[in-house]
Amino acid sequence: MKVVPSRSNEWVGPVTSQRPASAIIEIDRVSQVFQTSARKDHLALSDISLTIEEGAFVSILGPSGCGKSTLLYIVGGFVSPTSGGAKMKGKTITGPGPDRGPVFQEFALFPWKTVLGNVMYGPRQQGVRPTEAEVQSRALIEMVGLKGYENFYPKELSGGMKQRVALARTLAYHPEVLLMDEPFGALDAHTRTRLQNDLLNIWERDRKTVLFVTHSVDEAVFLSDKVVMMSKSPGRIRQVIDIDLPRPRRRNELLLDPRYQKYVVDIERMFDEVDDPGSRS
Amino acid sequence: MTSLAAAARRAAPVFACIGLLAAWQVASLALKNDSFPTAIEAIRAIPDILGDKESLINILASLRRMAIGFAIAVLVSIPLGLLMGRSRAVAAFFNPLLMVIYPVPKAALMPIIMLWLGVGDITKTLVIFLGVSLPVIYHSFEGAKAVEEKMLWSGAAMGLSSVQRLVRIVLPAALPEILTGCRTGLVLALITMITSEMIARQSGAGNILFNALDMGQYDTVFAMIIIVGAMGICLDAIFERVRARLVRWSEPQFDMPLSFS
Repeated sequence: MKVVPSRSNEWVGPVTSQRPASAIIEIDRVSQVFQTSARKDHLALSDISLTIEEGAFVSILGPSGCGKSTLLYIVGGFVSPTSGGAKMKGKTITGPGPDRGPVFQEFALFPWKTVLGNVMYGPRQQGVRPTEAEVQSRALIEMVGLKGYENFYPKELSGGMKQRVALARTLAYHPEVLLMDEPFGALDAHTRTRLQNDLLNIWERDRKTVLFVTHSVDEAVFLSDKVVMMSKSPGRIRQVIDIDLPRPRRRNELLLDPRYQKYVVDIERMFDEVDDPGSRS
Repeated sequence: MTSLAAAARRAAPVFACIGLLAAWQVASLALKNDSFPTAIEAIRAIPDILGDKESLINILASLRRMAIGFAIAVLVSIPLGLLMGRSRAVAAFFNPLLMVIYPVPKAALMPIIMLWLGVGDITKTLVIFLGVSLPVIYHSFEGAKAVEEKMLWSGAAMGLSSVQRLVRIVLPAALPEILTGCRTGLVLALITMITSEMIARQSGAGNILFNALDMGQYDTVFAMIIIVGAMGICLDAIFERVRARLVRWSEPQFDMPLSFS
């Protein structure tokens, strides 16, 4: 059966992905060399330059070992590049800071703190008064769908719930950029889909800049304004693809949209090329 | 069914103690050796010891030295272990030193320490300190090493300085492991306490024990062994309660059902 996409006006939202925007993150000729055990240098990232516009949802897509997470860690200030550098709002990044909030695949929650304690941690560190931090944190916990779990410890939660807490914990200190490192990579397919939808809903409300690392093509296309396709050994930017799909995006509609399907098919083909060892020169 | 299992679980240690004492009684009666009193004779001697003011002062002095040695050891060892776990340079400096000290029985150092510091409290407390330090350092070190990098990164992104990360992330994250070390340290404190008093015979629980041995009062010897053992069990039980409370967040929620229950 041929899928005929509907062309009704439900697609025409007030917001499109083309908006006037200015650069918030500038990555300038970044290279990263790791020393492997055999004292051989491994070039993880080679000469990466990339500009990310304020309010954009940008995915970095690539096979494992292409250095996409490393690139994210460099923007986060957790890793210093071997050469080149990154700037946040024109200022060179020298270390981590609350303007860039990470969300990791491993959740990295504080296990000795409850859900509420985890979410309140950032605001408290920023000097927000306890009562105020608690009110804000409770609202965030509700927003990520965990109302009623405020006093649970991380060990009592499922993977999906932990990642919701991690997202709320990062949003709580109002970073200007969200750095998401394969955040849904450890989750089962169903949970993953639900979290993608919820992330998109949350994001479409306040349009924070998001840098999102993934190796899932449909996840990247579904969420992003821009997909940065990377190749490996050494990690290089292969191509930057603008995803010109209207927002707000709804999964059930998007899956039927031939434009979405074409993006996925094209990018998957590109992915196969960069991931196939035979195609490397 | 479950209440029966719970009752059985609670009664099990009591049965174990009774079983041990019964075996002792039987063995002693069978061997008929003067230096091996029966369990009942030994137990009868306990009130004499605990009723004697001088003995009581001796035992309390022992416990005081033990508490001081243990406390100082924990206060020094935890920060050192955590620093070693998070800094390769600190670990590289202290690891060889600790590897040299580790296999040496701390009591073997006593003659030298006695030579320097005399036979008083300082010497004994120092030996207890040495005995407790190593397991606490080791477990703090391992605990700190195992702290997830991403957890520290999350803290750094929130604006925590490196010292704050050590105190507010590494310390609580490593706490279960640290407390395991402290528990081993507590038992070692008791052991080194007795051995130190056995070498520097001046006062203390160990002194009572070995004086009795010299005088051939074997029921007192075994009574002291029971008292020291009981102190160990009590201290460990108290510590275990505190520990369980502090790291409730890391314990499995339910008891794993054993395959045969």
